[in-house]
Amino acid sequence: MKAYSRISLLTALVLVTFLVPQLKAQDWVRTGTNLSNDRIRIAAADVKPVGDDPQTPALKTAFDFTLYSDLANAGIFDLVSKSLAPQAVPGSQQEILLSQWSAAPCNAAMVAFGALSVTKGRLIVYGWLDDARNTESPQVLGKQYNEEASLDMARTIAHRFADEIILRLGGGINGIAETKIYFVSSRSGTKEIWAMDYDGQNQHQITHLGTISMSPRISPDNTRIAFASLGSEGWAIRMYSLEIGRLVSFPAGVAGGLNQSPAWSADGKKIAFSSSRSGNSEIWAADANGTNLRQLTNFAGPDSSPTWNPRTNAQLAWVSGRTGLPQIYTMEEDGANVQRLTDGGYAISPSWSPSGQFLTFSWNRKYGPGAPGGQDIYVMDITTKRWLQLTHDAGSNDFPSWAPDTRHIVFERSIGGRTDLWSMLADGTEQHQLTQTGNNFMPNWSWN
Amino acid sequence: MDILLGGGEQLERGLAPEPVMAPAAGSLLLHGGLAALLLAYGFLGGLFHHSQWGNEAGGGTIQVKLVSSVLPLPSDQPPNDNVLATDMPSQAPAEPAAKEKQAVDTSAIEIAGQQVKPKQQTVARVPQSQVTPQQNNKAQYGEQAGSSIARATQAPTPVTIGHTAIGDADFGSRFGWYVSNMNQAITTNWYHQEVNSSTPKGSRVYLVFTIHRDGTASDMKFAQGSGSPTLDRSCLRALQRVDSFGALPSAYLPSSLNVSYYCEY
Repeated sequence: MKAYSRISLLTALVLVTFLVPQLKAQDWVRTGTNLSNDRIRIAAADVKPVGDDPQTPALKTAFDFTLYSDLANAGIFDLVSKSLAPQAVPGSQQEILLSQWSAAPCNAAMVAFGALSVTKGRLIVYGWLDDARNTESPQVLGKQYNEEASLDMARTIAHRFADEIILRLGGGINGIAETKIYFVSSRSGTKEIWAMDYDGQNQHQITHLGTISMSPRISPDNTRIAFASLGSEGWAIRMYSLEIGRLVSFPAGVAGGLNQSPAWSADGKKIAFSSSRSGNSEIWAADANGTNLRQLTNFAGPDSSPTWNPRTNAQLAWVSGRTGLPQIYTMEEDGANVQRLTDGGYAISPSWSPSGQFLTFSWNRKYGPGAPGGQDIYVMDITTKRWLQLTHDAGSNDFPSWAPDTRHIVFERSIGGRTDLWSMLADGTEQHQLTQTGNNFMPNWSWN
Repeated sequence: MDILLGGGEQLERGLAPEPVMAPAAGSLLLHGGLAALLLAYGFLGGLFHHSQWGNEAGGGTIQVKLVSSVLPLPSDQPPNDNVLATDMPSQAPAEPAAKEKQAVDTSAIEIAGQQVKPKQQTVARVPQSQVTPQQNNKAQYGEQAGSSIARATQAPTPVTIGHTAIGDADFGSRFGWYVSNMNQAITTNWYHQEVNSSTPKGSRVYLVFTIHRDGTASDMKFAQGSGSPTLDRSCLRALQRVDSFGALPSAYLPSSLNVSYYCEY
């Protein structure tokens, strides 16, 4: 009996083990840190024009060009040049032959392609992003756009598609293809506030005040621009509403003294600016509607150019001249924990990165008579105070402003008697001139 | 005499034993009282706390926030602290080696009709080249880009990470972009400063966890330690800091995904 019961127990166990239905097999992924840091090799195929509407060729060209330059500007791709890409123009998943794109000389890891058609005044674009090395399930993205048929909308659709690709492949950071840059231009005769797309397209004038306006700062919700303007009562901070197309009141910005360099906090609730109404130029802050004015600094020497920490909205970086030459400092909003970041030279115009970790500013580290030095753009890691010089030997560079993806910086360069706006990657590469006419200053990249 | 003799009372008084008990008791009482007062002051003072240490408004220790400061751009070179030109080897190739002297062929037949001077001496004088030092084909000078700020962005490595599991239909090859997003999320939350700097380079700790359909991670466990407890802990903390990895791709049918992740110092 004992042996029998043991055997039966064993049999029962064996049966139970093998007859229990198998759970659905789950996949394993094995990965880790310190893997390759390469750029993603992506090929942007021309979109296939569908239909015979006469607008199609022009819109297709605008779309192709815009998509290609957006992907090239992103900073994370190794874009396959058009001469290496296959001649094929696939218009759908059935038409694309991935082996063409993943073979030499193209060697693409990803392919972006699509189809464009114009019907009854509507521009319809289908866009796909495929993984060229994965023949089983290549599709990563599939998008459809339907907008009014115009050159502007063709560019906008290309910007949107590029943003989707950058978001998906760039580790979750939004692309900047739909962001705008606000700047000062004197090409109309007086210094007014202008706006343009992030790649320099579509430059248009916003204010028509007929006086000098400087340091525009767009609000985080893209509705208002705060800027400093010379009026009858002196330099005041003014607010321009983009929704209603005229100035709105900002009571805190008008007072005796010099009011300059406004800065929005990332939640859109506070504006810090420098004002000399107390006799000495100090940092003041007010609510976004101009009330609740309060003084934030009370130090010897001039204090100006504040910028908020966009992550905490409770820290400021600003320029202080208490030691003589202007240096960059950070502090909490209540004045505590004042830290000095630059150790010498002439440091101005700080801008806090959207990730909250870096400051970019203009610095002349060897300022002084007889010392060879240029005003260059630097990026500094706030916690470790390590810096990286971005511009070298190319004019006088000032007023840097971060893009919302923490990958791009727009700045002002004075060289050869002209002042223009340039954009570059945050490691100093890919410097592109954005403006060509007039003199252009003090750019500000929008928040999204 | 009387004065002398009259000092008897004084003598008596002088000879009389000093009163010791009363003053001694009094002294004991006094000292005991003082000690008791001191103790009482210490005890009662401790009961009513004054902030004699530190900033009253702050309260608590200073919070130091470790930040993983990384520019989200790819880089070909690791971060370094070189600011000036260095003597690190440059990428340019070295100059080509000097051409050796052409040796004279002694077995060549002399052309008839011409008196050719014997060339044996010249042949013997072809210099015996000593063993030349190993030519390192890189120029021994150069400049290295001073870039002390770290970069991180991950490419969607298509297939071969570690060893391929079940063939090319596994998650890594189908959704390489999801794996790279996951790598990015963990790497940006991994703070190198938490790891003891004496940890040998290249040590790896392997973590195992599960990602659910909504992107949240659970069941984090150590699969293989690295030998450095600080590295192990910092890798686990990095994983815990991630709120969500993003929803699992809809083309992936099972409800969860098992991940084996290593952190390499």
